Parts: sequence; structure tokens; C-alpha cells
Amino acid sequence: MTPAALLHGLLQVLTALLLPPLLPGLINKVKAAVAGRQGPPVTQLYRDLAKLARKEAVLSATTTPIFLLGPVAAVAVGLVASLLVPFGHAPAPVHFEGDMILFAYLFGLARFAMVLAALDTGSSFEGMGAAREVTFAALAEPALFLGFAALARSSGSLSLSGMLGGSGLALSRATGPLVLVLAGWVIVFLAENARIPVDDPDTHLELTMIHEVMLLDHSGRPLALAQYAASLKLLVLGALILGLVLPRTHLAALDWLLFYGGLAALCAAVGVVESTTARFRLDKVSQLLVAGLLASAFAFFLLQAQP
Amino acid sequence: MLPVGLMLGAMGCWVASGCLGLRGADDRPHQALGLLGAALGLAGSLWVLLGGASGTLTFPFWGGTARLEVDALSAAFLAPLHLVAALAVLYGHRYLPLTAPKGAGRWVRLSVGCLAASLTLVFTARQGLVFLVGWEAMALSAMCLIASEHEHPEVLRATWVYLVCTHAGTLILTAMVVLLAQRLGGYGWLPAAGAPAPGPDLAILLLAILGFGFKAGLVPFHFWLPAAHAGAPSHVSALLSAVMLKAGIYGILRVSTLVPPVAHLGGGLMALGALTALYGAGCALAQRDYKRLLAYSSIENLGIIAMGVGLGLAGRALGLPWLAALGFGGAVFHVWNHAVFKSLLFLGAGAVLQATGTRDLEALGGLAQRMPETALALLPGVLAVSALPPFNGFLSEWFLYRGFFTSILGGGAWPAGLAMTALALTGGLAAIAFAKFYGFIFLGLPRSAEAEHAREAPRGMVLPMAVLAGLCLALSLGGALLLPVLDRVVAVLAPGNPALLAAGLTLDLGLCAALAVLLLGLGALAWRWQGRIPAAAARPGTWDCGYARPTVHMEYTAGSFADSWSALVPGVKLKIRRIRELFPRPTTFHSAFQDEVGEGYAAGLVLAAAARMQRFRRLQQGHLSVYLLYILVALVGIFLWATVRPRLLP
Repeated sequence: MTPAALLHGLLQVLTALLLPPLLPGLINKVKAAVAGRQGPPVTQLYRDLAKLARKEAVLSATTTPIFLLGPVAAVAVGLVASLLVPFGHAPAPVHFEGDMILFAYLFGLARFAMVLAALDTGSSFEGMGAAREVTFAALAEPALFLGFAALARSSGSLSLSGMLGGSGLALSRATGPLVLVLAGWVIVFLAENARIPVDDPDTHLELTMIHEVMLLDHSGRPLALAQYAASLKLLVLGALILGLVLPRTHLAALDWLLFYGGLAALCAAVGVVESTTARFRLDKVSQLLVAGLLASAFAFFLLQAQP
Repeated sequence: MLPVGLMLGAMGCWVASGCLGLRGADDRPHQALGLLGAALGLAGSLWVLLGGASGTLTFPFWGGTARLEVDALSAAFLAPLHLVAALAVLYGHRYLPLTAPKGAGRWVRLSVGCLAASLTLVFTARQGLVFLVGWEAMALSAMCLIASEHEHPEVLRATWVYLVCTHAGTLILTAMVVLLAQRLGGYGWLPAAGAPAPGPDLAILLLAILGFGFKAGLVPFHFWLPAAHAGAPSHVSALLSAVMLKAGIYGILRVSTLVPPVAHLGGGLMALGALTALYGAGCALAQRDYKRLLAYSSIENLGIIAMGVGLGLAGRALGLPWLAALGFGGAVFHVWNHAVFKSLLFLGAGAVLQATGTRDLEALGGLAQRMPETALALLPGVLAVSALPPFNGFLSEWFLYRGFFTSILGGGAWPAGLAMTALALTGGLAAIAFAKFYGFIFLGLPRSAEAEHAREAPRGMVLPMAVLAGLCLALSLGGALLLPVLDRVVAVLAPGNPALLAAGLTLDLGLCAALAVLLLGLGALAWRWQGRIPAAAARPGTWDCGYARPTVHMEYTAGSFADSWSALVPGVKLKIRRIRELFPRPTTFHSAFQDEVGEGYAAGLVLAAAARMQRFRRLQQGHLSVYLLYILVALVGIFLWATVRPRLLP
């Protein structure tokens, strides 16, 4: 391992550990700015986490250790998955052929654990959220995989670092299909991170939520872990999308700057979407996800037609 | 010679163990002999799997010679058989005591011994007729097991349906064995020499897929399976689901080694597998009876295995050794993994059934507090069956995905792309089904008095589950060590293939295992950071968004949990009254499930056929004189034929 690769890996691990809570702060700041409010500071989630870490957790008498396993699994999964996806364009710290399958199923594990944690409370609200989570996830997974298949075909590589480590969307010979993959994955990104138009992260006590409602009974450190894990997922899946679009330079430092700039732009875009769009009706959400699935599928089919 | 001798010893021990179970006054000799048989069987199969020489035994049989052989492919199926059978015998001691009413305990002990012995024969036989004898013995002992609670009418019906289906399969297999004997020039099963004969080869393979497909539960031949597996005692369901279904897969694989590869057959089997997997997963999530849910999940997993076999056959036919290795390797690995996690789940389901007496998901809940050891042991099982890392189910699906992606790069993009999408969707649906299974059995508040007063299962039942749960993790972390073993199996299936898996995947699986360890380590760190769990007595109730007095009836139900997808499953009927008036009257909601292929379509066909067959009833008069007339007519016919034949056919 060369010193440069070591440094790169170190930077990636530090980014994954420290940066995530900034992203929801950025999104909220953009939303506040669009609405003409001042909004909370961008570091609000860091402060929330610090406060929650000092608080005592209140557990329901119904719950078992499964309830605590949910956030733990979500954080562990997010950290391990962050090692597989390239930040910037250098290869990820861990890469091997077939790592994208592990990447996708790791998030499946986190989701399963959070769903079990929600069911463990016996609350009908959390049961409802859990039901929606698994329902939509089953549609998001094929969209993700068809995108992988299209990328494997266009890059000739079977690892995330090889698929996303290319020269980016603008310079690729397969621009058209990759735009479709991007469209499909943006939908997956919004659904998986429970953002508008799939889910509204702001409505805490309304019935049409998915992710937030599953956290109703978490408090103290478990809640801190769950919120940190959610922001980590935003970062990791964001890096997946950015890998498709960011151009590549020959300077590692410039690549990293581009990556951070891209993340900020992604957060701003999510903020603008959230400020200008309403959440979809629940039955429309599956249509949106099917649209994402079809976009990825068309990308795959188009790439088959190419020699 | 050594492995075959061990297998013969194992068969003897199993039969003797069954007989002791039927007659003995004590359960211990039965158990000891069964465990001895399992130990012999495991020793023989591990010997071959770990690189020992495969053994052959030839003996005269019915005017010819018959052969028994244990090669790596046989051993790959024999090992899970003897492991699961041993655990089932241990588990059965407490689950179904010897003194169970109406002799069910004794009868099941005899049949389990016979089933293990006959399956051992099926996996070792290399002669068509011996194979059929073993196959029939297996089918009949399985029938006795399925019928063991025959006082319930639905069990009796399931037994009948099973009996008809298995014999329909055997009929097709008999035709296949005869065709194979013509093709190979004898009933001995040695790979065909000489030029390929595409016509007969295709016919043989199609008949094999059809006949073995009945046993493996491939759609549309699966309909006997859910009722049969759900109605049997749970450790028997484990044995049937984890091992006996695989006999169908074994048969397809074995026959495919005997004849040269046929183009496009692999793609067809892959499509059939994808259909089976999707159908099984869809039906599984719509079930209300958790044992039926597990049975449908077996159909799903057999579909996944069939996809792997199809991929392997396609790779073999196209001359792509890497694809063949990934397909066959993934299929065999999934056979092992499914044997481990599905028997774990069935044993757990049995513990729940014994503790609560109900198979209704809507009547359970909260068992994790009442049966903590069972709940803990089953957690790896549900994660593994949903193909989630770091457990073993993920690893074998990873093989298949890897194969599909390789195929996509290599040009076979259409079938591989579709199969990959189907596998991804199946994974999502299985996750719904098993979140429902675990969440509504073990979590939340108990929904009935039976669940409220459930007690932990006895140690003798928890221990086998703990062994299997440990195997779920061990098979995943040690995946890289299994690669040389899988290579040996692939070498039987695709002769001439170099050992590609160990060379190509050791590093990848090692990294997977390292990441799994890292995942567990990070989880342990986060768990420690979360701090201590306060005692249950000091806790408030669940905060129901400010509602002060939540009751059990307000809990989310298993039916609602899977509602959005189960509406798409063919066969689910929902009866709900739309509310139109301003002051609605009390209303009801009713949902029912009927297997559209099995109970809807196939049952209609069978009934129509039975009505046609009624015409032949006229032949059956019941008068002795009429039967004597039949015999006379037949004799005269044969006589005439014998005299006329030399003139007609010079």
C-alpha cells in the first residue's frame, strides 16, 4: 500500500466518521433560506448528538434487546459500507469483485434490524412505519441492482471502485444510459434516506411517515446512534451518486475538494427539492419507485444495444 | 471403498434406530443408534469432501451389476442429511415423546430412520433401478411422516395430495430411467461415451427436470408442499424441507452429469427457478400460518438453487468454466446454507408451536420475553434466510449475483439481467416475510392468552437450534475455507473444469469475512457505548403518541404488515366493505389465501381428469367371473400376438 493510498484511506475513514451530521444541517439551512427563515445552525445535529449522549435512555417495558440492536446495526452497517464506496475517485479502502452486492445487502441488514426494533415496541405507529419501510425497500433494491448491472456493462468492472472510479458522467461514452441510472438512483437515494417526496423528515407525529415514526420510542444514546446512522447513510449513498457525476482531475487534493463541493451541492439540491415539492400520497410512492426501477432497467437495456 | 462402507453402516444404523424407536421402551437406544448412523454418514461424506478418494462398491443385482458410489456430489448432499437428521432425532426426544398419543412418537421414529437410510441410498445409488427403489422408499417414509398427525382432516388431505404428486413424479422418473438406460446402454449410471445425441439427451433432461421438479417443489409442481410441510411435526418438517426437497436438486444435477450438455436448457431452468423464487417469496409473505410461511420460503429457496443450477448448466453448455463454477458452486453452497437455516427455523417454529399450541401469527407476539433463548437462536436464522450479511444465506446468493454479473459482462445479458432482478426482488420480499415472521411471533405484546403464558422450550430442544445458529455464522465467516470443497463438487458436475473457485474467490470471501468481523466488532462497540439496559420492572409502557391506554388489539397485525405486497400475490382474496356513509356501521375485514397454481388451477385439472377417469370404473365390476374373463382375454391376446408377430415382423 503506497503512502498516498494510506492517506486517502485515512481521509475517507475520518470523513465517514466526522462529516455525516453536517449534511442534515446543510439541508435544513437551505430549506430555511428558501423559506426566508434563519434556521438552526448547520452544526445542530452535532449538538443534538452530544446532548443525547448525556441523556438517560427510557425503554418501554415491552421491549427486548432487539430494540437496542436496531440502531447499533444501523451504525455498524453505515461505517462498514463507507469503506466500500469510493469518495472522490480514488479506489475505496476495501474493494473486491462483487463488493456492490455486499454494499446493497448491508443496508438491507440495517433496515431489517431497524424494522425489528420498531416492531419490538408493539406500537401501532411504529408497526405502520416498519411495514412501509419494508414495502418500499423491496422496490428500491432491484433499481439499485439494475444500475449496478448497467455500470458493470459500461465500465467492465465488478467492483464499486471500478464502476464509479471512471471519469464521470460527462466524459463517458455511455452518457445517455448513465443519466438514466442517475435518475433511478436519485429516486432510490431519496427513498432510502426518507426525504421528500417519499417521506417527510420534519413531520414527527403525522401518520404518513416512514423513517421517523420508527424512532418514536428511541431516546438517549440509542436515538443518538439512530440519528447518526441516518446521516451516515445520507453520506454513503450520496457518495454513490456523486461517483456517477463528478469529473476526475489528476490532483488528489482537487478530487477531494470536488467531492466535498459535490456533497454540499447534493445537500442544497435535496433542500431545494424539499422546499418546492410536497410529499407524495402513499400509493404514489410505489409508482415513483417503479419509475426509478424502469429508469435503471432502460439504462441496462440501452447498454446491451451498444456494441 | 471406505466411504461406501461408512454409508452402508450409516444406513444400517438408521434402520436399526428406527426399529428400536418403534419397539423399544426407552428412547436412548434409538437416539444413540441414530447418532451413530449420523456420525458414520458425516465421517464418510466429510472424508470425500475434504479430498479423500471417492469409494465404489459393485454387487450383482437383478441379473446385472449395480454400483454404489460416494463422490463429492453425493457427499455434498449426504453431509447436510446426516447433520439435520441427527439434530432432528435429538430434538424429537422432547418435542414428540416416545409415549405420544396413538403411537405417533414411535411411528415417527421408525419413519425418520427409514427416511435417512433411503435418502442415503438415493444419494449413493449409481444404477437406475436401485435409485428408483431408494426413491420410492424415501417417498413412502416421507408419506408416513407427513401423515403422522392424521387425525386432522387437512393433514390427511395433504398426505393424499403428496402421495399422488410424488407418484406422478416417480412415474416420470421411471420413464427417464428407461430412456437413460437406452442412451447409456445399461442401467448403470456412467457418463455417456461417444457422440452426443441431442434429441434423446434433451428428452432425458426434460423428464428429469419434470420428475425431480415435483420433489424439489418447482412451480407449478409445488402445490403439495406447503400443506405437507406445515402439517408434519416440526422436526420432521425440518428434515423434509432441509434435505428431502434437495433430493430433487440432486437428481437434476446427477442426471446432468450423465449426458452431454444441451444448449438453452440452463436458461430455461434459470427462468423456472426465478419464477419459483418470486412465487414462493410472494406467497410466503401473505401467509398467516407461520409453518406454511416457512414452507413457501422453502419453495423460494429451491427456486434460487434451481437458478444456480441453471446458470451452471448454461456455463457448461457454453463452455464457460468460470460461469459453470459460480453457478454450480452457488447452488451447492445454497443447498448447505438452506439446510442449516431452514431446519433452524422449523425447529424454532416447533418450539413456538409447542409453547403456544397455535400456528396463527395473529395470535402470537411477545415471545422474546417469554422464550428468550429460542428468540436469540432464531435471530441468525431469519437474517440468514433473508440473505443478509454476516450470515451464510448472503454468501451463496453472492455467488449467484457474481455469476449473473459475470454473465452480463460476457454477453449473456438478457437472461442474467432478468434473473438478477428477480433475485433482488426475491430478497426484498423474503425480508418482508421474515420481518413478519420474527416480528409478530417474538416482538411486541402477546395477542392471546396462549402467547401470554408461553414458557421457554426445554434444553434438549434449544441445543440443536443453538448448534444450527452457530453454523449460520460459521459457514459465512469460514466461506473462504469451503472453496476447495466446492471446487471438488464442481469438478464432478463439470468434468475438466480447473479448480477455479479457490483460485478466484479466496481473497474476495476473505475480505467479506474480514468486513463481517469488523461489522460485528463495531456493533459490539456501539452496544457497549449504549450502556446498560434497565430491568424490565422499572420501565414505563410504550409511548403511543400520547394515547394513554393502548391495548393489545391496537397493535399492528401481521396481515397489515405485509398488506401492500400481499395484495399483489395471486391467490390472496381480500373482503373489505368500502365506507361511504357519514356515520359508518361497524365493519369487518376478511382475507384468505388459496394457492392459485396448486389449489386453483392444478386442482381443477385433477378434478377434470378424475371425472374422465370415472368412465373406466365400468371395468371394475366386482364380479369374480368378469375378472376371470379379463384374464382369459389377456391370455388369448398374448397368445395371438405371439403367433402373429413372427409373420408380421420378419
